[in-house]
Amino acid sequence: MNVVEPIIQIQNINKYFGAFHALKNVSLDIAPGDKIVVLGPSGSGKSTLLRTINKLETIDSGTIIVDGHDLTDPEEDINAIRMELGMVFQSFNLFRHLSVLDNLTLAPVKLKKMEKSQANDIALRLLDKVGLRDRAGHYPIQLSGGQQQRVAIARALAMEPKIMLFDEPTSALDPEMIGEVLDVMVTLAKEGMTMVVVTHEMGFAREVADQVVFMDQGAIVEQASPDVFFDNPQHQRSKLFLQQIL
Amino acid sequence: MSKDDITKIEVGDGAAIPSPDDKGLVSAWWVALIGTVGMLIALPVLKPDPYLTILKFVPDGIVVTFEVTILAIVFAIIIGLLTGLGRLSSNRFINMIASLYVEVVRGIPLLVQLFYIYFALGRIVRVPDIVAAVIAMAFCYGAYMGEVFRAGISSIDHGQTEASLSLGFDKKQTMAYVVLPQAWRTILPPVGNEFIALLKDTSLVSILAVADILRRGREYAAESFNYFETYTIIALIYLLITLLLSKLISAMEYRLSHYERR
Ligand SMILES: Nc1ncnc2c1ncn2[C@@H]1O[C@H](COP(=O)(O)OP(=O)(O)OP(=O)(O)O)[C@@H](O)[C@H]1O
Ligand SMILES: [Mg+2]
Repeated sequence: MNVVEPIIQIQNINKYFGAFHALKNVSLDIAPGDKIVVLGPSGSGKSTLLRTINKLETIDSGTIIVDGHDLTDPEEDINAIRMELGMVFQSFNLFRHLSVLDNLTLAPVKLKKMEKSQANDIALRLLDKVGLRDRAGHYPIQLSGGQQQRVAIARALAMEPKIMLFDEPTSALDPEMIGEVLDVMVTLAKEGMTMVVVTHEMGFAREVADQVVFMDQGAIVEQASPDVFFDNPQHQRSKLFLQQIL
Repeated sequence: MSKDDITKIEVGDGAAIPSPDDKGLVSAWWVALIGTVGMLIALPVLKPDPYLTILKFVPDGIVVTFEVTILAIVFAIIIGLLTGLGRLSSNRFINMIASLYVEVVRGIPLLVQLFYIYFALGRIVRVPDIVAAVIAMAFCYGAYMGEVFRAGISSIDHGQTEASLSLGFDKKQTMAYVVLPQAWRTILPPVGNEFIALLKDTSLVSILAVADILRRGREYAAESFNYFETYTIIALIYLLITLLLSKLISAMEYRLSHYERR
Protein backbone atom coordinates (compact mmCIF):
# COMPACT_ATOMS: atom_id res chain seq x y z
CA MET A 1 0.00 0.00 0.00
CA ASN A 2 1.34 3.39 -0.90
CA VAL A 3 1.09 6.12 1.63
CA VAL A 4 -1.51 8.67 0.61
CA GLU A 5 -3.29 11.12 2.83
CA PRO A 6 -6.74 9.63 3.59
CA ILE A 7 -9.65 11.61 2.16
CA ILE A 8 -11.80 10.50 5.08
CA GLN A 9 -10.35 10.08 8.54
CA ILE A 10 -12.65 8.78 11.22
CA GLN A 11 -10.97 8.75 14.59
CA ASN A 12 -12.39 7.20 17.72
CA ILE A 13 -15.92 8.41 17.23
CA ASN A 14 -18.75 7.71 19.62
CA LYS A 15 -22.41 8.31 19.04
CA TYR A 16 -25.30 8.01 21.45
CA PHE A 17 -29.04 8.06 20.80
CA GLY A 18 -30.09 9.01 24.29
CA ALA A 19 -28.65 6.29 26.47
CA PHE A 20 -28.11 3.93 23.54
CA HIS A 21 -24.47 3.67 22.46
CA ALA A 22 -24.81 3.46 18.68
CA LEU A 23 -21.18 3.91 17.60
CA LYS A 24 -18.39 2.68 19.86
CA ASN A 25 -14.87 4.03 19.33
CA VAL A 26 -15.08 3.66 15.58
CA SER A 27 -11.98 4.54 13.56
CA LEU A 28 -11.60 4.23 9.81
CA ASP A 29 -9.28 5.75 7.22
CA ILE A 30 -10.36 5.90 3.61
CA ALA A 31 -7.90 6.76 0.87
CA PRO A 32 -8.92 8.63 -2.28
CA GLY A 33 -10.33 6.18 -4.79
CA ASP A 34 -11.00 3.54 -2.14
CA LYS A 35 -14.18 1.50 -2.26
CA ILE A 36 -15.25 0.56 1.23
CA VAL A 37 -18.16 -1.82 1.71
CA VAL A 38 -19.74 -1.81 5.14
CA LEU A 39 -21.42 -5.03 6.21
CA GLY A 40 -23.16 -6.05 9.39
CA PRO A 41 -26.41 -7.21 10.92
CA SER A 42 -29.43 -4.94 11.21
CA GLY A 43 -29.02 -2.32 13.90
CA SER A 44 -25.23 -2.64 14.00
CA GLY A 45 -24.74 1.05 13.23
CA LYS A 46 -23.88 0.93 9.51
CA SER A 47 -26.25 3.71 8.50
CA THR A 48 -25.33 5.76 11.52
CA LEU A 49 -21.64 5.53 10.65
CA LEU A 50 -22.27 6.45 7.02
CA ARG A 51 -24.46 9.39 8.03
CA THR A 52 -21.82 10.81 10.36
CA ILE A 53 -19.55 11.27 7.33
CA ASN A 54 -21.80 13.99 5.89
CA LYS A 55 -23.02 15.06 9.32
CA LEU A 56 -26.61 13.95 8.88
CA GLU A 57 -25.79 12.51 12.30
CA THR A 58 -23.60 14.45 14.70
CA ILE A 59 -21.10 12.64 16.89
CA ASP A 60 -20.58 12.91 20.62
CA SER A 61 -16.81 12.42 20.67
CA GLY A 62 -13.92 11.76 18.32
CA THR A 63 -13.14 13.50 15.04
CA ILE A 64 -14.05 13.10 11.41
CA ILE A 65 -11.93 14.83 8.79
CA VAL A 66 -13.26 14.88 5.24
CA ASP A 67 -10.90 16.16 2.57
CA GLY A 68 -9.06 18.25 5.13
CA HIS A 69 -12.20 19.65 6.79
CA ASP A 70 -12.83 18.80 10.43
CA LEU A 71 -16.57 18.11 10.76
CA THR A 72 -16.47 18.78 14.49
CA ASP A 73 -15.11 22.28 13.93
CA PRO A 74 -18.06 24.67 14.18
CA GLU A 75 -16.20 27.13 11.96
CA GLU A 76 -16.34 24.74 9.02
CA ASP A 77 -19.16 25.26 6.53
CA ILE A 78 -20.92 21.92 6.53
CA ASN A 79 -22.91 22.81 3.41
CA ALA A 80 -19.72 23.35 1.42
CA ILE A 81 -18.35 20.01 2.66
CA ARG A 82 -21.60 18.24 1.76
CA MET A 83 -21.22 19.44 -1.82
CA GLU A 84 -18.20 17.15 -2.07
CA LEU A 85 -20.13 14.19 -0.65
CA GLY A 86 -22.83 12.60 -2.76
CA MET A 87 -25.34 10.48 -0.91
CA VAL A 88 -27.69 7.78 -2.16
CA PHE A 89 -30.50 6.58 0.11
CA GLN A 90 -32.32 3.31 0.41
CA SER A 91 -35.61 5.09 -0.32
CA PHE A 92 -34.23 7.13 -3.30
CA ASN A 93 -35.68 10.40 -1.97
CA LEU A 94 -35.98 12.01 -5.37
CA PHE A 95 -37.66 15.40 -5.21
CA ARG A 96 -41.20 14.44 -6.05
CA HIS A 97 -42.28 17.82 -7.32
CA LEU A 98 -39.47 18.09 -9.87
CA SER A 99 -38.91 16.35 -13.18
CA VAL A 100 -35.97 14.00 -13.50
CA LEU A 101 -33.98 16.72 -15.26
CA ASP A 102 -34.81 19.31 -12.60
CA ASN A 103 -33.85 16.85 -9.86
CA LEU A 104 -30.38 16.84 -11.39
CA THR A 105 -30.08 20.56 -12.06
CA LEU A 106 -31.56 22.03 -8.85
CA ALA A 107 -28.40 21.86 -6.76
CA PRO A 108 -25.89 22.86 -9.48
CA VAL A 109 -28.03 25.85 -10.46
CA LYS A 110 -28.85 27.04 -6.95
CA LEU A 111 -25.63 26.15 -5.15
CA LYS A 112 -22.96 26.45 -7.82
CA LYS A 113 -24.77 29.27 -9.65
CA MET A 114 -24.41 27.29 -12.84
CA GLU A 115 -26.19 28.44 -15.99
CA LYS A 116 -29.34 26.40 -16.50
CA SER A 117 -28.24 25.42 -20.01
CA GLN A 118 -24.90 24.15 -18.78
CA ALA A 119 -26.57 22.29 -15.90
CA ASN A 120 -28.97 20.72 -18.41
CA ASP A 121 -26.06 19.54 -20.56
CA ILE A 122 -24.35 17.94 -17.59
CA ALA A 123 -27.62 16.42 -16.39
CA LEU A 124 -28.39 14.89 -19.78
CA ARG A 125 -24.89 13.44 -19.98
CA LEU A 126 -25.35 11.86 -16.56
CA LEU A 127 -28.77 10.53 -17.50
CA ASP A 128 -27.13 8.99 -20.54
CA LYS A 129 -24.63 7.37 -18.26
CA VAL A 130 -27.33 5.78 -16.10
CA GLY A 131 -29.35 4.90 -19.20
CA LEU A 132 -32.29 7.21 -18.56
CA ARG A 133 -31.88 10.11 -20.93
CA ASP A 134 -35.31 9.41 -22.40
CA ARG A 135 -36.88 9.91 -18.97
CA ALA A 136 -35.59 13.46 -18.45
CA GLY A 137 -39.08 14.95 -18.56
CA HIS A 138 -40.75 12.37 -16.33
CA TYR A 139 -41.66 12.84 -12.68
CA PRO A 140 -40.15 10.43 -10.13
CA ILE A 141 -43.50 8.76 -9.48
CA GLN A 142 -43.60 7.71 -13.13
CA LEU A 143 -40.40 5.68 -12.80
CA SER A 144 -39.73 2.21 -11.42
CA GLY A 145 -37.68 1.85 -8.24
CA GLY A 146 -34.55 0.88 -10.14
CA GLN A 147 -34.95 3.87 -12.44
CA GLN A 148 -35.52 6.20 -9.50
CA GLN A 149 -32.38 4.96 -7.80
CA ARG A 150 -30.33 5.46 -10.95
CA VAL A 151 -31.66 9.01 -11.18
CA ALA A 152 -30.78 9.51 -7.52
CA ILE A 153 -27.20 8.45 -8.25
CA ALA A 154 -27.09 10.84 -11.21
CA ARG A 155 -28.49 13.64 -9.05
CA ALA A 156 -25.67 13.16 -6.55
CA LEU A 157 -23.08 13.00 -9.35
CA ALA A 158 -24.36 16.26 -10.84
CA MET A 159 -22.63 18.08 -7.98
CA GLU A 160 -19.36 16.42 -9.04
CA PRO A 161 -18.64 15.06 -5.56
CA LYS A 162 -15.29 13.59 -4.59
CA ILE A 163 -16.90 10.89 -2.48
CA MET A 164 -20.12 8.91 -2.84
CA LEU A 165 -21.97 7.44 0.13
CA PHE A 166 -24.51 4.68 -0.46
CA ASP A 167 -26.90 3.47 2.24
CA GLU A 168 -28.36 0.15 1.11
CA PRO A 169 -29.12 1.48 -2.37
CA THR A 170 -30.71 -1.76 -3.56
CA SER A 171 -32.56 -2.90 -0.44
CA ALA A 172 -35.86 -1.31 -1.41
CA LEU A 173 -35.79 -2.72 -4.94
CA ASP A 174 -37.52 -5.69 -6.52
CA PRO A 175 -34.89 -8.35 -7.26
CA GLU A 176 -35.02 -7.84 -11.00
CA MET A 177 -34.04 -4.19 -10.63
CA ILE A 178 -31.04 -4.66 -8.36
CA GLY A 179 -28.70 -5.44 -11.24
CA GLU A 180 -29.30 -2.22 -13.14
CA VAL A 181 -28.40 -0.15 -10.06
CA LEU A 182 -25.35 -2.22 -9.18
CA ASP A 183 -24.13 -1.90 -12.77
CA VAL A 184 -24.13 1.87 -12.44
CA MET A 185 -22.23 1.60 -9.17
CA VAL A 186 -19.65 -0.75 -10.65
CA THR A 187 -19.08 1.68 -13.53
CA LEU A 188 -18.63 4.47 -11.05
CA ALA A 189 -16.14 2.39 -9.08
CA LYS A 190 -14.13 1.64 -12.21
CA GLU A 191 -13.90 5.35 -12.94
CA GLY A 192 -12.07 5.78 -9.65
CA MET A 193 -14.77 7.31 -7.45
CA THR A 194 -14.18 7.09 -3.71
CA MET A 195 -17.13 5.08 -2.43
CA VAL A 196 -18.49 4.03 0.94
CA VAL A 197 -21.25 1.52 0.45
CA VAL A 198 -23.54 -0.07 3.01
CA THR A 199 -25.07 -3.09 1.33
CA HIS A 200 -26.13 -6.69 1.69
CA GLU A 201 -25.03 -7.48 -1.88
CA MET A 202 -22.12 -9.82 -1.25
CA GLY A 203 -21.36 -10.20 -4.95
CA PHE A 204 -20.90 -6.48 -5.25
CA ALA A 205 -18.70 -6.42 -2.15
CA ARG A 206 -16.45 -9.13 -3.55
CA GLU A 207 -16.20 -7.55 -6.97
CA VAL A 208 -15.76 -3.92 -6.06
CA ALA A 209 -14.55 -3.48 -2.49
CA ASP A 210 -10.96 -2.67 -1.65
CA GLN A 211 -11.82 -3.17 1.98
CA VAL A 212 -14.76 -4.75 3.73
CA VAL A 213 -15.69 -3.28 7.08
CA PHE A 214 -17.76 -5.56 9.28
CA MET A 215 -19.73 -3.93 12.08
CA ASP A 216 -21.58 -5.41 14.99
CA GLN A 217 -23.25 -3.68 17.92
CA GLY A 218 -21.88 -0.26 17.04
CA ALA A 219 -18.24 -1.30 16.65
CA ILE A 220 -16.01 -2.27 13.75
CA VAL A 221 -15.26 -5.94 14.38
CA GLU A 222 -13.19 -6.71 11.33
CA GLN A 223 -11.70 -4.83 8.44
CA ALA A 224 -10.14 -6.82 5.64
CA SER A 225 -9.86 -7.25 1.90
CA PRO A 226 -12.92 -9.03 0.49
CA ASP A 227 -10.91 -12.18 -0.28
CA VAL A 228 -9.79 -12.50 3.30
CA PHE A 229 -13.12 -11.49 4.78
CA PHE A 230 -15.28 -13.85 2.76
CA ASP A 231 -12.93 -16.83 2.52
CA ASN A 232 -11.07 -16.61 5.77
CA PRO A 233 -12.84 -14.37 8.31
CA GLN A 234 -10.79 -13.82 11.43
CA HIS A 235 -13.50 -13.17 13.98
CA GLN A 236 -16.16 -15.41 15.36
CA ARG A 237 -18.90 -12.82 14.79
CA SER A 238 -17.84 -12.34 11.17
CA LYS A 239 -18.05 -16.10 10.63
CA LEU A 240 -21.47 -16.24 12.22
CA PHE A 241 -22.70 -13.34 10.10
CA LEU A 242 -21.42 -14.92 6.89
CA GLN A 243 -22.99 -18.26 7.78
CA GLN A 244 -26.34 -16.59 8.29
CA ILE A 245 -26.42 -14.69 5.02
CA LEU A 246 -24.71 -17.07 2.61
CA MET B 1 -49.99 6.77 -6.15
CA SER B 2 -53.68 6.85 -5.40
CA LYS B 3 -55.55 9.72 -3.93
CA ASP B 4 -55.70 8.00 -0.55
CA ASP B 5 -51.95 8.07 -0.10
CA ILE B 6 -51.92 11.83 0.06
CA THR B 7 -52.23 13.30 3.50
CA LYS B 8 -55.47 15.17 3.94
CA ILE B 9 -55.68 17.91 6.49
CA GLU B 10 -59.11 18.64 7.83
CA VAL B 11 -59.24 22.11 9.30
CA GLY B 12 -61.89 24.80 9.47
CA ASP B 13 -65.50 24.82 8.47
CA GLY B 14 -65.43 26.17 4.93
CA ALA B 15 -67.69 25.13 2.12
CA ALA B 16 -66.93 21.64 0.91
CA ILE B 17 -64.41 21.75 -1.90
CA PRO B 18 -65.40 19.18 -4.50
CA SER B 19 -62.66 16.79 -5.48
CA PRO B 20 -62.93 15.71 -9.12
CA ASP B 21 -63.30 12.11 -7.91
CA ASP B 22 -66.22 12.83 -5.64
CA LYS B 23 -69.23 12.53 -7.93
CA GLY B 24 -71.83 13.15 -5.21
CA LEU B 25 -70.38 16.52 -4.25
CA VAL B 26 -69.84 17.55 -7.84
CA SER B 27 -73.46 17.13 -8.80
CA ALA B 28 -74.66 18.76 -5.58
CA TRP B 29 -72.45 21.66 -6.57
CA TRP B 30 -74.17 21.98 -9.94
CA VAL B 31 -77.64 21.83 -8.41
CA ALA B 32 -76.70 24.52 -5.89
CA LEU B 33 -75.11 26.71 -8.55
CA ILE B 34 -78.01 26.48 -10.99
CA GLY B 35 -80.50 27.06 -8.18
CA THR B 36 -78.62 30.10 -6.88
CA VAL B 37 -78.09 31.71 -10.28
CA GLY B 38 -81.67 30.92 -11.23
CA MET B 39 -83.06 32.63 -8.16
CA LEU B 40 -80.74 35.62 -8.52
CA ILE B 41 -82.11 36.10 -12.03
CA ALA B 42 -85.73 35.08 -11.48
CA LEU B 43 -86.44 37.11 -8.33
CA PRO B 44 -85.49 40.55 -9.76
CA VAL B 45 -87.21 39.76 -13.07
CA LEU B 46 -90.44 38.55 -11.49
CA LYS B 47 -90.51 41.07 -8.67
CA PRO B 48 -88.25 44.05 -9.51
CA ASP B 49 -89.54 45.85 -6.44
CA PRO B 50 -87.77 45.26 -4.11
CA TYR B 51 -85.37 42.59 -5.47
CA LEU B 52 -83.89 44.64 -8.30
CA THR B 53 -83.46 47.61 -6.00
CA ILE B 54 -81.66 45.44 -3.48
CA LEU B 55 -79.44 44.01 -6.20
CA LYS B 56 -78.44 47.52 -7.21
CA PHE B 57 -77.76 48.60 -3.63
CA VAL B 58 -75.64 45.73 -2.40
CA PRO B 59 -72.75 45.35 -4.93
CA ASP B 60 -70.66 48.14 -3.33
CA GLY B 61 -70.53 45.85 -0.34
CA ILE B 62 -69.27 42.92 -2.40
CA VAL B 63 -66.19 44.93 -3.29
CA VAL B 64 -65.56 45.70 0.38
CA THR B 65 -66.11 42.10 1.39
CA PHE B 66 -63.52 40.99 -1.18
CA GLU B 67 -61.08 43.71 -0.11
CA VAL B 68 -61.25 42.60 3.49
CA THR B 69 -61.11 38.91 2.57
CA ILE B 70 -58.16 39.14 0.20
CA LEU B 71 -56.09 41.48 2.34
CA ALA B 72 -56.81 39.39 5.43
CA ILE B 73 -56.00 36.09 3.73
CA VAL B 74 -52.71 37.41 2.35
CA PHE B 75 -51.62 38.53 5.81
CA ALA B 76 -53.04 35.40 7.41
CA ILE B 77 -50.98 33.25 5.02
CA ILE B 78 -47.81 35.18 5.84
CA ILE B 79 -48.53 34.99 9.57
CA GLY B 80 -49.53 31.36 9.17
CA LEU B 81 -46.33 30.43 7.38
CA LEU B 82 -44.23 32.09 10.07
CA THR B 83 -46.34 30.52 12.81
CA GLY B 84 -46.15 27.07 11.22
CA LEU B 85 -42.38 27.35 10.86
CA GLY B 86 -42.21 28.65 14.42
CA ARG B 87 -44.19 25.69 15.72
CA LEU B 88 -41.73 23.37 13.99
CA SER B 89 -38.67 25.32 15.06
CA SER B 90 -36.11 23.65 17.28
CA ASN B 91 -35.58 27.03 18.94
CA ARG B 92 -37.57 26.68 22.17
CA PHE B 93 -38.32 30.38 22.49
CA ILE B 94 -39.66 30.81 18.95
CA ASN B 95 -41.61 27.60 19.32
CA MET B 96 -43.12 28.83 22.56
CA ILE B 97 -44.19 32.19 21.10
CA ALA B 98 -45.82 30.54 18.09
CA SER B 99 -47.63 27.98 20.23
CA LEU B 100 -48.82 30.63 22.66
CA TYR B 101 -50.23 32.70 19.82
CA VAL B 102 -52.13 29.73 18.45
CA GLU B 103 -53.51 28.77 21.85
CA VAL B 104 -54.69 32.27 22.66
CA VAL B 105 -56.36 32.87 19.31
CA ARG B 106 -58.05 29.51 19.25
CA GLY B 107 -59.48 30.03 22.70
CA ILE B 108 -61.31 33.29 21.97
CA PRO B 109 -64.33 33.65 19.68
CA LEU B 110 -63.63 35.58 16.50
CA LEU B 111 -66.31 38.15 17.26
CA VAL B 112 -64.75 38.90 20.64
CA GLN B 113 -61.32 39.18 19.03
CA LEU B 114 -62.70 41.54 16.44
CA PHE B 115 -64.14 43.85 19.08
CA TYR B 116 -61.04 43.54 21.20
CA ILE B 117 -58.53 44.35 18.49
CA TYR B 118 -60.74 47.08 17.10
CA PHE B 119 -61.04 48.89 20.41
CA ALA B 120 -57.52 48.09 21.58
CA LEU B 121 -56.13 49.50 18.36
CA GLY B 122 -58.41 52.48 18.71
CA ARG B 123 -56.77 53.38 22.00
CA ILE B 124 -53.31 53.53 20.41
CA VAL B 125 -53.78 54.79 16.87
CA ARG B 126 -56.64 55.95 14.77
CA VAL B 127 -56.87 53.59 11.85
CA PRO B 128 -59.67 53.32 9.31
CA ASP B 129 -62.31 50.74 10.25
CA ILE B 130 -61.43 48.55 7.33
CA VAL B 131 -57.77 48.39 8.39
CA ALA B 132 -58.75 47.36 11.90
CA ALA B 133 -61.02 44.73 10.44
CA VAL B 134 -58.28 43.32 8.24
CA ILE B 135 -55.81 43.23 11.12
CA ALA B 136 -58.27 41.44 13.37
CA MET B 137 -59.24 38.88 10.73
CA ALA B 138 -55.61 38.25 9.77
CA PHE B 139 -54.59 37.88 13.41
CA CYS B 140 -57.27 35.29 14.01
CA TYR B 141 -56.94 33.38 10.78
CA GLY B 142 -53.14 33.48 10.95
CA ALA B 143 -53.34 31.09 13.88
CA TYR B 144 -55.55 28.63 12.04
CA MET B 145 -53.35 28.99 8.99
CA GLY B 146 -50.33 28.29 11.18
CA GLU B 147 -51.76 24.89 12.04
CA VAL B 148 -52.43 24.21 8.37
CA PHE B 149 -48.84 25.07 7.46
CA ARG B 150 -47.45 23.07 10.35
CA ALA B 151 -49.41 20.00 9.34
CA GLY B 152 -48.58 20.48 5.65
CA ILE B 153 -44.87 20.89 6.25
CA SER B 154 -44.63 17.94 8.62
CA SER B 155 -46.49 15.75 6.13
CA ILE B 156 -43.48 15.89 3.79
CA ASP B 157 -41.27 12.83 4.17
CA HIS B 158 -38.07 13.59 6.07
CA GLY B 159 -36.11 11.79 3.35
CA GLN B 160 -36.77 14.80 1.10
CA THR B 161 -35.07 17.06 3.63
CA GLU B 162 -32.14 14.68 4.05
CA ALA B 163 -31.63 14.41 0.31
CA SER B 164 -31.61 18.17 0.04
CA LEU B 165 -29.21 18.66 2.95
CA SER B 166 -26.91 15.98 1.57
CA LEU B 167 -26.59 17.95 -1.67
CA GLY B 168 -25.37 20.97 0.27
CA PHE B 169 -28.54 23.00 0.71
CA ASP B 170 -28.94 24.64 4.10
CA LYS B 171 -32.14 24.37 6.11
CA LYS B 172 -33.73 27.52 4.69
CA GLN B 173 -32.97 26.56 1.10
CA THR B 174 -34.31 23.10 1.79
CA MET B 175 -37.54 24.62 3.06
CA ALA B 176 -37.82 26.97 0.08
CA TYR B 177 -36.82 24.66 -2.77
CA VAL B 178 -37.88 21.23 -1.57
CA VAL B 179 -40.33 21.14 1.34
CA LEU B 180 -42.66 24.09 0.77
CA PRO B 181 -43.22 23.46 -2.95
CA GLN B 182 -44.42 19.99 -2.01
CA ALA B 183 -46.25 21.08 1.11
CA TRP B 184 -48.38 23.42 -1.02
CA ARG B 185 -50.02 20.36 -2.44
CA THR B 186 -51.31 19.36 0.99
CA ILE B 187 -51.76 22.89 2.22
CA LEU B 188 -53.84 24.29 -0.62
CA PRO B 189 -57.15 22.51 0.10
CA PRO B 190 -57.31 23.56 3.76
CA VAL B 191 -56.07 27.05 2.84
CA GLY B 192 -58.92 27.16 0.35
CA ASN B 193 -61.31 26.10 3.08
CA GLU B 194 -59.95 28.82 5.34
CA PHE B 195 -60.31 31.35 2.54
CA ILE B 196 -63.98 30.52 2.12
CA ALA B 197 -64.57 30.44 5.87
CA LEU B 198 -62.83 33.80 6.16
CA LEU B 199 -64.96 35.26 3.41
CA LYS B 200 -68.08 34.22 5.29
CA ASP B 201 -66.67 35.45 8.59
CA THR B 202 -66.04 38.89 7.13
CA SER B 203 -69.79 39.36 7.58
CA LEU B 204 -68.88 39.90 11.25
CA VAL B 205 -66.99 43.09 10.39
CA SER B 206 -70.26 44.71 9.41
CA ILE B 207 -70.58 45.31 13.14
CA LEU B 208 -67.48 47.51 13.02
CA ALA B 209 -69.05 49.99 10.59
CA VAL B 210 -67.31 48.43 7.59
CA ALA B 211 -69.65 48.63 4.63
CA ASP B 212 -69.48 45.03 3.45
CA ILE B 213 -72.29 43.07 1.80
CA LEU B 214 -74.13 42.47 5.04
CA ARG B 215 -73.78 46.03 6.24
CA ARG B 216 -75.06 47.38 2.94
CA GLY B 217 -77.98 44.99 3.15
CA ARG B 218 -78.80 45.99 6.71
CA GLU B 219 -78.69 49.67 5.75
CA TYR B 220 -81.12 49.02 2.93
CA ALA B 221 -83.40 46.87 5.05
CA ALA B 222 -83.45 49.44 7.83
CA GLU B 223 -84.87 52.11 5.56
CA SER B 224 -87.12 49.94 3.40
CA PHE B 225 -88.22 47.37 6.01
CA ASN B 226 -87.77 44.63 3.37
CA TYR B 227 -85.81 42.44 5.79
CA PHE B 228 -86.82 39.09 4.37
CA GLU B 229 -86.14 40.01 0.74
CA THR B 230 -82.83 41.68 1.58
CA TYR B 231 -81.46 38.74 3.54
CA THR B 232 -82.60 36.37 0.82
CA ILE B 233 -80.51 38.24 -1.73
CA ILE B 234 -77.55 38.51 0.65
CA ALA B 235 -77.63 34.80 1.38
CA LEU B 236 -77.78 34.02 -2.34
CA ILE B 237 -74.83 36.32 -3.09
CA TYR B 238 -72.69 34.69 -0.38
CA LEU B 239 -73.68 31.27 -1.65
CA LEU B 240 -72.83 32.14 -5.25
CA ILE B 241 -69.42 33.50 -4.26
CA THR B 242 -68.49 30.51 -2.11
CA LEU B 243 -69.69 28.04 -4.74
CA LEU B 244 -67.54 29.67 -7.40
CA LEU B 245 -64.56 29.89 -5.08
CA SER B 246 -64.76 26.26 -4.07
CA LYS B 247 -64.72 25.29 -7.74
CA LEU B 248 -61.76 27.55 -8.43
CA ILE B 249 -59.83 26.08 -5.54
CA SER B 250 -60.51 22.53 -6.58
CA ALA B 251 -59.24 23.36 -10.07
CA MET B 252 -56.06 24.86 -8.60
CA GLU B 253 -55.63 21.84 -6.42
CA TYR B 254 -55.88 19.59 -9.44
CA ARG B 255 -53.27 21.60 -11.30
CA LEU B 256 -50.88 21.58 -8.35
CA SER B 257 -51.06 17.80 -8.11
CA HIS B 258 -49.68 17.26 -11.62
CA TYR B 259 -46.57 15.49 -10.36
CA GLU B 260 -48.64 13.02 -8.36
CA ARG B 261 -50.21 11.64 -11.52
CA ARG B 262 -48.59 8.87 -13.46
N1 LIG C 1 -32.61 8.61 15.30
C1 LIG C 1 -32.44 7.55 16.13
N2 LIG C 1 -32.91 7.58 17.39
C2 LIG C 1 -32.73 6.53 18.22
N3 LIG C 1 -32.11 5.40 17.89
C3 LIG C 1 -31.62 5.30 16.64
C4 LIG C 1 -31.77 6.36 15.70
N4 LIG C 1 -31.19 5.98 14.54
C5 LIG C 1 -30.70 4.74 14.76
N5 LIG C 1 -30.96 4.32 16.02
C6 LIG C 1 -30.55 3.05 16.59
O1 LIG C 1 -29.17 2.89 16.42
C7 LIG C 1 -28.86 1.57 16.06
C8 LIG C 1 -28.09 1.54 14.78
O2 LIG C 1 -28.93 2.00 13.74
P1 LIG C 1 -28.48 1.99 12.23
O3 LIG C 1 -29.60 2.53 11.46
O4 LIG C 1 -27.17 2.66 12.10
O5 LIG C 1 -28.32 0.43 11.95
P2 LIG C 1 -27.98 -0.29 10.59
O6 LIG C 1 -26.76 -1.08 10.82
O7 LIG C 1 -27.96 0.68 9.47
O8 LIG C 1 -29.21 -1.29 10.45
P3 LIG C 1 -30.07 -1.69 9.16
O9 LIG C 1 -29.30 -2.79 8.47
O10 LIG C 1 -31.33 -2.20 9.75
O11 LIG C 1 -30.24 -0.48 8.33
C9 LIG C 1 -30.18 0.82 15.96
O12 LIG C 1 -30.35 0.08 17.17
C10 LIG C 1 -31.20 1.90 15.87
O13 LIG C 1 -32.40 1.51 16.50
MG1 LIG D 1 -29.25 1.08 7.85
